[in-house]
Amino acid sequence: MPGKIVLCRCEDVTLSDIEHSVSRGYRDIEEVKRYTGFGTGPCQGKECLAVVALQLAQITKQNPSAIPPFTSRPPLAPTPLKLLAKDPGAHRFPDDLGDDEGEA
Amino acid sequence: MRGEAVEVRIAGSAVRAYGDESLAAATLASGGRILSRSLKYHRPRTFFCFEGHCSGCLVRIGGVPNLRACQAPCSAGAEVEGQNAFPSAEIDLLGAVDFLFSRGMDHHTLMTGSSVLNKLANKVVRQLSGLGKLPDVAAAELPDVHRFDVDVCVIGGGPAGLAAATTTSRGGRSTVLVDDQLRPGGSLRADPRQGRQLAETRWGEAVQAGVTVLARSTAIGFFPEDDGGVLAVSAPDRLYRIYARQWIWATGGYVVNLPFPDNDRPGVLAARAVGRLLVDHGILAGDKICIVEDKGLESDVVALADALSGAGADVTRIPLADVSGTRGRGWTTAVDTKRGKLDCDLVAVAAIPAPASEGPRQQGCTVVLDEAAGGFRVVTNELGQTSATNVWACGDVTGYRGAAASAADGARVAQNLLEARR
Repeated sequence: MPGKIVLCRCEDVTLSDIEHSVSRGYRDIEEVKRYTGFGTGPCQGKECLAVVALQLAQITKQNPSAIPPFTSRPPLAPTPLKLLAKDPGAHRFPDDLGDDEGEA
Repeated sequence: MRGEAVEVRIAGSAVRAYGDESLAAATLASGGRILSRSLKYHRPRTFFCFEGHCSGCLVRIGGVPNLRACQAPCSAGAEVEGQNAFPSAEIDLLGAVDFLFSRGMDHHTLMTGSSVLNKLANKVVRQLSGLGKLPDVAAAELPDVHRFDVDVCVIGGGPAGLAAATTTSRGGRSTVLVDDQLRPGGSLRADPRQGRQLAETRWGEAVQAGVTVLARSTAIGFFPEDDGGVLAVSAPDRLYRIYARQWIWATGGYVVNLPFPDNDRPGVLAARAVGRLLVDHGILAGDKICIVEDKGLESDVVALADALSGAGADVTRIPLADVSGTRGRGWTTAVDTKRGKLDCDLVAVAAIPAPASEGPRQQGCTVVLDEAAGGFRVVTNELGQTSATNVWACGDVTGYRGAAASAADGARVAQNLLEARR
């Protein structure tokens, strides 16, 4: 039995998991992310997004430039929640954006 | 070279460490090997990138979980413990999961045949999964929020960012530079042709030119809806809100692994991490080192191999196509190649770094997947402007070019910014 080829170490996603996802019809990068969980760990895809996207281009025989990245969302790095506790912006929801707010 | 000597505790033992290095470097230098276990198969996990970007060195420090050992300084009395394993990271009984599911595990169809079995499986899985345990005590003080209003904000303090910030500041623009590492310098500190001294010099020049350099400060998100756009930056003891007229992304690239069987075994490190340990910390991470290399990195690999040999290591270069696996119980002891088994105590993986473009993407910059560039590179015009207004990019984030060429690119793009119509 050959060893696992790990593409996403945070979530233990292997090359065969990506192939399995494609074989079940989940071929789009967002679909593959949701099906396998790659890119959803502590590194948020820093180590695996490019690697998986390039493998996906090969498996699905697409030109790499046709493959978009998955959506990038904050925070871009592991962040203790206490850092946001005193920020007024962190206590607002999109509906409140028109409201006045004090600066810290 | 390694700073003042201090005593730290690693997995219960007192270890002599140095003030300028990270707890990860101190752990490796003192013989520490396995730090935690992976989420699903409980495979052993440890250092890989030494740049704070992978999840390999997440540990518990001073009772706080999930901290990156490579981004924590060696302060006297610091205490490091492994996490996510039972009874310990070195001997983890849950590692049996890896053997039981040697062909992989599809959690969508795992024990879904019977609803009773499924409920039981869910209970067990919830006990096993997750990362770390809650902190021992709640945070005593909440960090303050600081605001910066500047002409130019440069994100990334490697060769490109330091050159760009120095240039805009000398050109009369108020400039703030944010860098996420313990000490700015980026890949200069990992390249034997550049070096620690050059990193310190370039950092000093930026400060001399009037740049506000924020070290250990990570851009965590861009929020366009907030007063024309604010960059949130996290530092150990505070949050920064940065408002700038122009932005320059110089975030470089993330080191990545190459796809070969058992490529996640401890002892498989990024080649740039092996270079960083040697160049920045004076630590030779192995005696018998195999460099597994992808195409297109010839000059980088030659420079690293020469430096490692010069420091006394026995170095062998192997093309990725010739590698069929790694061996070892815990730490790597050999690489399987087309020509047979090759004994070693360290594998250095040389792959083209993946452009760190998720920040620029949040600001609306167009990126394109490009194999030669290492991943999703930021698209720029000949001046260095991205598709987003007042947003520029330079260095490896626009496609891999290496430390020396990135420095030149940073200065060039910043000069274009100075000459552009306001």
